[in-house]
Amino acid sequence: MLWSLKRFVRYRVFIILAATLIVAAFVVPGFLRLNTLALGLDRGASIGLIAIGMTVLLIARQIDLSVGSIFGLCGIISVMLQPTLGVLPAAFVGVLAGAVLGAINGLLTVVFRINSLVATLATMLAFRAIAHWLTESQPVPGTDIMLSITLSNVYLEIFTLRSILFVGLILCLHAWLTLTVAGRNLFAVGSNPEAATASGISPDFTVFLSFIFAGFLAGLAGALQSLTTNTGSPMFGSEILVVIIAAVVVGGTRIEGGKGSALGTLGGILTITALTTAMEFQSIPAYVQQVVMGSILILLVVLDRTIRPEAHARAKTSTQQKMP
Amino acid sequence: MTRPLDSKPHLVKRFRRETPLALVATRGGLILAIICVLIFGALSSPMFLTSGNFLNVLTSMSIIGIIVVGMTFVLVVGGLADLSVPATIACGAILSLALQPILGAIPAFVLAIALAGLCGLVSGVLVGYVGINPIIATLGVGTIVLGIVQSLVGGVIVYGTNPATADFVKGRILGIPVLVLIFAVVAIAGHLVLSRSFWGRWTMATGGNPVTAEASAVPVRVVRAGAFVLTGLCGGLSGALLGLTLQSARPLVGVGYEFSAITAVVVGGISISGGSGSVPRAIIGLLFVQLLTNVMVLNGVRTPDQGFVLGLLIAAAVALDLALRRRGIA
Repeated sequence: MLWSLKRFVRYRVFIILAATLIVAAFVVPGFLRLNTLALGLDRGASIGLIAIGMTVLLIARQIDLSVGSIFGLCGIISVMLQPTLGVLPAAFVGVLAGAVLGAINGLLTVVFRINSLVATLATMLAFRAIAHWLTESQPVPGTDIMLSITLSNVYLEIFTLRSILFVGLILCLHAWLTLTVAGRNLFAVGSNPEAATASGISPDFTVFLSFIFAGFLAGLAGALQSLTTNTGSPMFGSEILVVIIAAVVVGGTRIEGGKGSALGTLGGILTITALTTAMEFQSIPAYVQQVVMGSILILLVVLDRTIRPEAHARAKTSTQQKMP
Repeated sequence: MTRPLDSKPHLVKRFRRETPLALVATRGGLILAIICVLIFGALSSPMFLTSGNFLNVLTSMSIIGIIVVGMTFVLVVGGLADLSVPATIACGAILSLALQPILGAIPAFVLAIALAGLCGLVSGVLVGYVGINPIIATLGVGTIVLGIVQSLVGGVIVYGTNPATADFVKGRILGIPVLVLIFAVVAIAGHLVLSRSFWGRWTMATGGNPVTAEASAVPVRVVRAGAFVLTGLCGGLSGALLGLTLQSARPLVGVGYEFSAITAVVVGGISISGGSGSVPRAIIGLLFVQLLTNVMVLNGVRTPDQGFVLGLLIAAAVALDLALRRRGIA
């Protein structure tokens, strides 16, 4: 029983993804048609880009609760600057703003030594407040409506620009995490910062860069979202946090740090997207979808806490009794 | 014979930093800030120093204040924050109104609070027994509970059917609004439990050093879970009162209250790392935040700007706490 559960924990992404796809294919007619999948993938790409950054942060034993706010704020910036700068420079500034906001989070965590959960909880509020302040709580329209149509073009039957970017980046992340020294250092920092310091890695620097990376990706996702919808809204991204953390955790990345994979996150995003699309096609109300997402998150986090696939993980329990 | 400290000069230096002035600054700074806000308010707006205005501040403070009492326990026990508060408020508000026609006003009120407490229990078990990070646990549980409550009533706004309950909640006893009285009772009870009872000592011990606390036979898991149950109950009570006052409840009625409560507790000088703090300090923090908001509203500061000021305030309070902690004062 326990053995099979451990198996499940290790291969859960594939099991859950396959189960979701099979059920969805039976319940929703035409679910496996290419245009449905392309639509789903396009929507998943938006949260997927943010999830890439979140994966890196969770591996480094940090978290960023402000990604939803960064997403919204950078979208607003890239739309509001369009009249003065032109479309592409404005989008560039929006993405750059994401990196700057991420650097603020990193600064609070690394220099001021505030727990990243608390620091990003505060910045989540602050960034959202700035978004409302800039827009006076009104959606802002963009200047070039044709661009959003270009961005929604479907290539090769299944990819949009956004989803190509997402899949490409997550494959890059996979290569980076598994093949490079820097990627291995990230795992070292997340699983044991003291040991990492002793081996000549600077945890602070790694964590700081991870925050910038996460902010940058949230900014990229926000800018793309605003260009695709041709709007910047202070409400964008206010409910995606649970979904993103759920997707990353489904993919086997652990909230306690030191463990995770890019391909797992890809699987997690595909699962969550398939689930959302299927539920929407069945016209299940948004609040029931929230229950499903929350339940997935809680169930898997509990599973992670109680069942450990590796024996050496057991040794870590004693040090982790103290609440983080 | 030398005293033990003389052999450790760095310790002497550390302890000497705790000058009376610094102590006054940490304890009395907030009072001073409140006085400044009062003076500024009185000078800037003729409406500020009226009894009607103060009654408004007190009433709106009461709804959040009930949550602040619970949140204080969560922070002191080292549980960081309870983000399921909007869900427990919605649970209290929606169920206490929706169940009125079926059960009657008082059983609906009690049941709504009990169910909110149950939500707190779920978070508490996840945090205390399973050992999940409190913010993740309460975020997840909050999402689930809010969804369940909405689907119970079909995702619509619920209206009250019994105006008599609204009249009672909005009424006064001996000239004091009922809401304020309820808040006072909750606050005094919370203060006595935290400062005078074995449970309070256990809470402090668990937040200060869980390993030592466990070694001293403190039931660490129960104490941690208890803080979240308490916050659940407080959220439910606050939500039910809010619902009865407004006689209508939207599903998102409680959004933002969790941050207001956390802001108040942190501004009150209770460390986010746990182990110390008291209910009165949190309430003084709340008073400061409420008066500041009131002055801003009276002076026509826009809501987003208010949010900005409060965000800066919470950041400053956390930074101050950490700076003082590093110097060994607070």
